[in-house]
Amino acid sequence: MIYDLIIIGGGPAGITAGIYAGRQKMKTLLMTKEFGGQMAKKATEICNYPGFEKISGAELIEKFVGHLEKQESVEIKFAEAGRVEKEGGVFTVTTTENEKIQSNSVIIATGADPRPLEAIGEKEFIGKGVGYCVTCDGPIFKNKTIAIVGGGNAGFEAALFMTNYASKIYILEFGTEPKADQENKNEAKKSDKIEIITNASVKEIKGDKFVGSLIYQDNISKENKELEVQGVFIEIGSQPATALVKGLVDFTKRDEIMVESETFQTKTPGLFAVGDDNSGPYKQIITAAGEGCKASLAAYDYLRKVKN
Amino acid sequence: MVKIYSTPTCVYCKTLKGYFKKNAIEFEDIDISKDEQQLQKMIKDSGQMGVPVVDIDGEVIVGFDKVKIDTLLKINQIKHD
Repeated sequence: MIYDLIIIGGGPAGITAGIYAGRQKMKTLLMTKEFGGQMAKKATEICNYPGFEKISGAELIEKFVGHLEKQESVEIKFAEAGRVEKEGGVFTVTTTENEKIQSNSVIIATGADPRPLEAIGEKEFIGKGVGYCVTCDGPIFKNKTIAIVGGGNAGFEAALFMTNYASKIYILEFGTEPKADQENKNEAKKSDKIEIITNASVKEIKGDKFVGSLIYQDNISKENKELEVQGVFIEIGSQPATALVKGLVDFTKRDEIMVESETFQTKTPGLFAVGDDNSGPYKQIITAAGEGCKASLAAYDYLRKVKN
Repeated sequence: MVKIYSTPTCVYCKTLKGYFKKNAIEFEDIDISKDEQQLQKMIKDSGQMGVPVVDIDGEVIVGFDKVKIDTLLKINQIKHD
C-alpha cells in the first residue's frame, strides 16, 4: 500500500498538517514518537495562541490531538522515522525498527531536540539527575536543590515552574546578563528560591549513582566552583531533528532544511519541511501550525499535478 | 498488573496513558509528585529519575518504549478507529 502522504512529527506543525490532510481526504499516515513537540516541554502557560488567552502546553496539545483523531483518513502510528528516501517518484520512510512504509509525498515536522550542553558527565547522568524536560521530570525534585543551565526565557520559565517543587534553584548563565525577557526576570526576582549566577561556564556534572554536584568556571576569575545539586536541567536551546532527510534536501549551517517560502517544499518535489525543521524565522506554535497547513495543501496540489 | 509512574505536567505520560486507554489496557496511575514512597520505589526499580515509567507485572520500562510495551501487552498496531 502506498499512502498519499506521510507526516513525520506530532507537534503543532505535524498535527495541523494531519487535520488538513484529513479534510482533503488524503490517505495519510502520521508517524511520531509522541505528541506535543516543544509544547510538551513548555514550563509556563501559552498566552499567544488565538482563542486561548492562557492555556498550558499539555491542554493545548490535548485539544490538537483530539481534533486530529477525528480525521478519518489519517492513521496515527507511534514510531520513530530513521530515514527518508525517494525512488521512482515514491518515498520510502524507514522506521528505527526497520519497518518500511511508502507514500507519494512526505512532510517533515520532526521539530527540534534539546541542544546538549556537552559538559563532562552530562550524558552519563541523563535520567539520573540530568534532564531536558522540566515539566516531565521537575516534580521529582521536590524539596531538592537543582541547577538550570541557560538564562534565556526557557531557563527562567523552567526555574519559575520549579519554584512549585524545588527548595533552591540556581540559574547558570554563560554571559554577563541573562537573555530572558524583563517580565521573566522580574518574576524570578520575586522568588527567594531562585539564585542567578552569571558568567558561568558549566564544566562537569558529578555524582555517584545520581547527580550530586555541578562544577562551573567563573568566566571572569577563571576559578572553578562547585554547587551541590541533585538535579540539572539543560535549557540552552534546541537543534532541528533533520538528519533523516540527508541527501534529499539542502541544509543551513544550523541543520535547518532549505525550503520554498510559499509551499515549504524542499528541493525534492513532494517533500516538505515545516516548523522548527526549516530555515524560516519566528518559530511559534501558531507559525508551526500555519506552515503545517500550507505544506499539507501544497502536498495535495503536488499529488494532483503528479496524477494528471 | 500495569502501573504508570507519572507527573501531572508530563505530556509524554499523557500520550502513554491515552495509548493504553485506546488499547483497553487497565492501569494504575501513580502521581509521584504526590507520593514520596512511590517515587523512591520508582527510582529503585528503574534505576533512574525520569517519567513515564511503566511497570508491567514487575517488568520495568523507562519512557514510552512502544516496542517493549507492545510485546509485553501483546498490542499490535494502533489503527485509526
